[in-house]
Amino acid sequence: MSRAQGAEQQNDSDWSLLERIVRKDELALAALYDRYSGLVFAEATRILRDSGAAEEVLQDLFYQVWRTAEKFDPARGSLPGWLLVAARNRSISRLRRRSSRDDEELTENSVVLPCTLETTAAQNQLLGRVKTVLSSMPDGQREAIELAYFEGMTHSEIAEHLGAPLGTVKTRIRSAVEILKQALA
Amino acid sequence: MTNDHPIRAEEFELFALGVFPTEESASILAHVDSCPECARKLAEARGRVALLALAAPEKNPPAVVKQRLLEKVRAGESAYVAPVRIRETRPPVRWWNTIWAPAALALAVATVFLWISDRGLERQLHEIQRATQTYQKETQHAQALVSVLAAQDTVTVKLDATPAIPKAWGYVKFNPRMGMMCYTADLPEPPPDKVYQMWAVPMTGNPVSAGVFMPSALHNGHMPMAKVPTGMDCKWFCVTVEPKGGKPAPTGPKVLVGTL
Repeated sequence: MSRAQGAEQQNDSDWSLLERIVRKDELALAALYDRYSGLVFAEATRILRDSGAAEEVLQDLFYQVWRTAEKFDPARGSLPGWLLVAARNRSISRLRRRSSRDDEELTENSVVLPCTLETTAAQNQLLGRVKTVLSSMPDGQREAIELAYFEGMTHSEIAEHLGAPLGTVKTRIRSAVEILKQALA
Repeated sequence: MTNDHPIRAEEFELFALGVFPTEESASILAHVDSCPECARKLAEARGRVALLALAAPEKNPPAVVKQRLLEKVRAGESAYVAPVRIRETRPPVRWWNTIWAPAALALAVATVFLWISDRGLERQLHEIQRATQTYQKETQHAQALVSVLAAQDTVTVKLDATPAIPKAWGYVKFNPRMGMMCYTADLPEPPPDKVYQMWAVPMTGNPVSAGVFMPSALHNGHMPMAKVPTGMDCKWFCVTVEPKGGKPAPTGPKVLVGTL
């Protein structure tokens, strides 16, 4: 692939790349992979704490995009949003040795991102905002919401894990979510 | 929560986060499937919550993952290349394991059979080697006998009986050039622990033993052969009765005597 082609593909929208993937354009899949594999891999590795397992999740997800791209409806959500949600679900399922639905369709679990992640600059900017928001939270709030997101724990499980009252945990998570919503609005 | 919706607007993020109990989540999901408004709110909440993924430490996948993905895409599902990963699981039971044990047993039986067969063949080989050695000795004996009997300078010496065994007889074929002699005799079985011994007696010097023999060994035309000094000036031959194993010089009674 020439530099011009690479630059062109960097500017392609997710939807444009997806249309080409439907037509079995390997370069489009490679471009989509280059765009989002870092985010997906970091998330899966954080949840699984196992690079090899995270690689499997990553490869399986993008292979599913390749196989079922025609089923994805951009009107119902964003592709990177689906990738992040699906990577989380599959990683937590593996972590907890639950049966996971690796064949879940792209039409399920519609995800609407509040912003774009199509460019590296946009990703870096959002990444900075999320980390700033989390670091601004009290330790208890941040720990609770991270246990919920990266460990897949419910209110009760977090309360038990932290040895904190259930009501306290619910309040901490609710507050953390509100802070996140406002920061990303 | 309202009468129409099982989840309040501010709870969609919590639901997307997955902190609700399983039973409650199931009823909410069932509602979302039939409520476009809640489905939209849930999709937006999922998007906000999904951004928490960006809190994970940044980490890029190894280049080989992309390479494997593209290889898999090119090869299609039939040639799926699974990511290389060490699993702490028991190895799967392969179909060939079911034939491995019988195959190993059959191999062991075949090995024992071949070992026994090999032992039999080895025994046969030894017997053949012994028979071959015997045949070679007999052949060499026959060749030497023929060469002595056929030689023009071989002389025949008749052996006469003595009073010890009046009806005995025999003769010697002697070739001084070849230093060889052979003989035969008609004698009764010697006393127990005794054998007959043939002697070549030179003009001067001590008698030379030409070997011990039993009459039964002379049956079927067998003629013992003996090596004597080449060019020996023989005067006469005689057969004596000696203890088993023979003697270096005649000690027993003469039973046959012949003069050259």
